[in-house]
Amino acid sequence: MTMSVTLPAGPGRLAGVVQRQGALAVLVTVVVISLATFPGFRSADNAGTILVAAAPPMLIALGMTFVIITGGIDLSVGSLYVLGGVVAAWASQYGMLAALAAPLLLCGAIGVLNGVLIARTAMAPFIVTLAALLGARGLMRSISDQGSTTYLVRSDAFHELGTGSLFGVGYPVWLAAVLVGLGILTLNRTRFGHAVHAIGGSEDAAALMGLPVRRVKVWVYLLSGLLAGLAGAINAAKLGSGVTVLGSGMELDAIAAVVIGGTLLTGGSGSIAGTVAGVLLLGVIQNLINQVGNVNSNWQQVISGGFLAVVVVAQTYLVRARRTHSP
Amino acid sequence: MFNNVSFARPKIAASLAAAALLLGAGACAKSEDSGATTGTGAAPVASQVVQSAAPGAATCTADQYGASKIDLKTASVGFSQSEKEANPFRIAETQSIKDEAAKLGITNLKTSNANSQFNKQIADVEQMIDSGVQLLVIAPLNSDGWDSVFAKASAKHIPIVTIDRKINASACKDYLTFIGSDFAEQGKRAADAMAKALGNKGEVAILLGAPGNNVTTLRTSGFKDEIAKVAPDIKVTFEQTGNFSREDGQKVAEQLLQSKPNINGIYGENDEMALGAITALKGAGKKPGDVKIVSIDGTKGAVQGIVDGWISAVIESNPRFGPLAFETATKFFGGTPVGQDIVIQDRAYDESNAKSDIGSAY
Repeated sequence: MTMSVTLPAGPGRLAGVVQRQGALAVLVTVVVISLATFPGFRSADNAGTILVAAAPPMLIALGMTFVIITGGIDLSVGSLYVLGGVVAAWASQYGMLAALAAPLLLCGAIGVLNGVLIARTAMAPFIVTLAALLGARGLMRSISDQGSTTYLVRSDAFHELGTGSLFGVGYPVWLAAVLVGLGILTLNRTRFGHAVHAIGGSEDAAALMGLPVRRVKVWVYLLSGLLAGLAGAINAAKLGSGVTVLGSGMELDAIAAVVIGGTLLTGGSGSIAGTVAGVLLLGVIQNLINQVGNVNSNWQQVISGGFLAVVVVAQTYLVRARRTHSP
Repeated sequence: MFNNVSFARPKIAASLAAAALLLGAGACAKSEDSGATTGTGAAPVASQVVQSAAPGAATCTADQYGASKIDLKTASVGFSQSEKEANPFRIAETQSIKDEAAKLGITNLKTSNANSQFNKQIADVEQMIDSGVQLLVIAPLNSDGWDSVFAKASAKHIPIVTIDRKINASACKDYLTFIGSDFAEQGKRAADAMAKALGNKGEVAILLGAPGNNVTTLRTSGFKDEIAKVAPDIKVTFEQTGNFSREDGQKVAEQLLQSKPNINGIYGENDEMALGAITALKGAGKKPGDVKIVSIDGTKGAVQGIVDGWISAVIESNPRFGPLAFETATKFFGGTPVGQDIVIQDRAYDESNAKSDIGSAY
């Protein structure tokens, strides 16, 4: 986590790097100060707890980064997350493969539906995915008897996927790391990734350039749905059951992490590495508030809200600084 | 602040921002501490009383659990609250734990609040285990989904006392003991009160609690079973979740009054939802007593509702878990066997005692 960033000379370029890696800079600062201040923060166990807890939100924020770079938004991910978990726990009676396949199929299908509606009808992504948010939560309620039936995970192998570890690092963290790596490659090194950027920059220009705008849009919402379903499944594997009281507000956390990471809500530009820093920052803030201990629940939200506001304000100024100094 | 910072030096801006954040966090923690000290002044009222356990009920000792015997005073204790301290039950519950810890001289009490986010509660508790707590008191948000916590806690033999809601797992193995009310009995007593208020006939609506925990399940089944038994002419014609919150209770009651304007009774599975329902009834132009309301918890607002004529009866669910939780832990660490299922006695309020006993409401 304590990566060192070499900054090129020149105030404008420096600002550029800090803006792009602003979340990372804040994250490193906060982590270094916490390491010095809180003995409880220092343990390897605590780092493991933060990382494992951050894995499902990381998967969701990864998908969200693609969506936001195209200029869209996906509000359905919190609902798909809880739906994916419930479906995975239910399907685990048929083994691990079923427990992974069922949520991916269902959430992927809802993601495709989102994408097709957005791409074909030009309806606002906000409205389409809001409908999916409500629909998916309703679906979850109906298959869990108003949320009162909790399916237990029946497959030991699937359970192990959520709780086990390799070289002292939990499987969910490995999974998130691998998918983030693939995500970075896809976004920066493939034609699909370039199309994602181009559509967010200017949809008309992208269409004129002959890019398959509609198809790319369907793909990003499919990706977002799949990742949300997978995150839900991994979380269910960890908890040992398909908990139904999860995921509300999670889409907003994901959006916040993406924006903190330096991705513009208007689309066209963004970075997955920034999103990783954003997700970890949110996790570390939560951990820190607990380290302080005895902070009233209302104050906890005020503090995390204040933290976000400061990060966003700082970034706005940095973006302006970059524009002022760029040649 | 940012106006004074030259944009050519973004590094300074960033570090200033970070410093401001940390200062902010420190200030908040401080004000919270002072808030807690003023709270301890309140005299403990109507503390919990344990129902006498059935002979031969299962118990648990430190040896059975594999826990080492420690002195609670110097121990590090973690308390994880499930929902925001925004309703009287949660406020009284957290305060009771803090007050009792202060009374016993436990200086190392860590508290956290999951704000109704289950994943946060899991992370909170895991973090407490990492930080080396020797006793965990948990008010669980959900009854299932605790596998990863149990794995971590049992590796370190940390006893877990769950309060108010139960966890679906093995007592004396995954967790030490559960302290709480007999929720089915609460539902049954609410049904008796409803039958009495309605004269054994009419249509009743249920405002269900949040899904996924034993409190909602048992308060529902206890109520329905008893109604079917003692007043078969009372029909439950509407049930929907109000998530134990006042806003949701009001919303659901508004829908209820539109679809069934002639409903005779409303059973609120907690006081907050019942108080929300009263707001909805007022909005619909109903008068006190037009619709009979029975609810569970025993908050000041609801007992006042009895005095005002809106509510027929309130079955108590006592949230003052502090004394009993720490007494149980002290016994356990001292080598005495403790019950695996510690059920407390709850009182009831109706028009006969609401005025005189409102002081014991919370």
